[in-house]
Amino acid sequence: MIKSLLFNLAQSGIYTSPVMNWVVTAFSVLLCLFISPTRLPGMELLGVGPNWLLIWVVAWSIRRTVWQGAIAGLVLGLIQDGMTAPHPTHAISLAVVGMLTARIQKQRYIQEDFISVALIVFGMAVLAETITAVQFSLQGIGASAYAAHRALAEVWFYHQRIALSSAILSSLWAPVVYYPLNRWWQQTNAVEPSQT
Amino acid sequence: MYTLRRWWDRHGLRTGLVFLALGSAWVLRQTQGAAVFEVYQRVSRPFESMPTSAERIETAEMQELQQRLTELESQNQQLQEMLGYVQSRPTEGITAPIIGRSADHWWQQVTLGRGSRDGIQVGGIVAGPGGLVGRITHVTPSTSRVLLISDPTSQVGVTISRSRHMGYMRGQAANRAVMEFFDKVPDVQPGDVVSTSSFSQLFPPGFPIGRVESVNLSKSPAPEAVIELSAPINALEWVVVYPNSRTEVSNNP
Repeated sequence: MIKSLLFNLAQSGIYTSPVMNWVVTAFSVLLCLFISPTRLPGMELLGVGPNWLLIWVVAWSIRRTVWQGAIAGLVLGLIQDGMTAPHPTHAISLAVVGMLTARIQKQRYIQEDFISVALIVFGMAVLAETITAVQFSLQGIGASAYAAHRALAEVWFYHQRIALSSAILSSLWAPVVYYPLNRWWQQTNAVEPSQT
Repeated sequence: MYTLRRWWDRHGLRTGLVFLALGSAWVLRQTQGAAVFEVYQRVSRPFESMPTSAERIETAEMQELQQRLTELESQNQQLQEMLGYVQSRPTEGITAPIIGRSADHWWQQVTLGRGSRDGIQVGGIVAGPGGLVGRITHVTPSTSRVLLISDPTSQVGVTISRSRHMGYMRGQAANRAVMEFFDKVPDVQPGDVVSTSSFSQLFPPGFPIGRVESVNLSKSPAPEAVIELSAPINALEWVVVYPNSRTEVSNNP
């Protein structure tokens, strides 16, 4: 019933208009933004929640070009800067995640199912936290001894803890973002046809 | 000219959207996500909890009272020795619900559901049942962001209530913090009460913070103590914000 309704809507062209497509995409980003500061029960591991923006960037870039991935990562990174603290920036790690996800030769190595998406998110979450940790370390080296900064040993100790828990949680929750978004983009043909 | 127009026909919409996205992201970054948090506050309002009477909060309150008592006793002793002491504890505060936690994993922050419209200002002191919680770093009309004292970048000048030995404390991301002493051989033992010192540039003196859990006197360059924060930061739902008299200091997060 609903499926046929959706199909009719898709046929009538409301669905396929690019404006509608961008509205839905922006709305999904907004949802990810709103869910980031919440800690719903069952979503926490050692006080760390899933990295929703990272999941979104992976879901976006998985069937797009490197440039599209990079720009999406940049945009979401800047927004996350605004929501937490701008130094060090989140834009670098998310842009790298977007580029790498788009770059992976998925046709050859990985099939596009839930498990492989979860695996990509796992790897990318570890990578993103590592990039942030490197930025914190550089900041610490540049700062004077008594200015407010994080000690090198503390940064990397903390990195181990959050990289693992964030990667596990993000990869478990990845399908929640990936499945509906990918379904939508496939229906509207917004994603690039898979290249060989 | 013709090729330019053809390029524009083909890529115009996409280029426009990319610039729109980058532009709005930049605006959000510069305004510290004010718009997002404003909408978030509206969306999350139905889910705000009422003040809980959970046992955890009660024990924390008990602890706070105990710690205040120790602090006051110690202060009283000093007062008798020294005339002209001025009590600078702020008296009235604004009660605010916690509506969100940090949006990434590196920063220990919470978002409160009250903002400048309710009289909260940057630099305000945030306390909960159990003692000091953090400091307001950013304010929008109806939300405000708190940098918790458990954040590694938040440094607080603290003192041991019993022996008045001074030091400074940095957060360790959970409900633990590390205190570094200024003295080489401080008089400190596990169980001692820790509160903010009069050397603190950001916080008024005398706010209870926690208890000493363990002491490492051989640590270089300065002796260290691990402090267990008494406010149950992860379980808090309501806090009280006090206006700060020491707001002239810089407020970089």
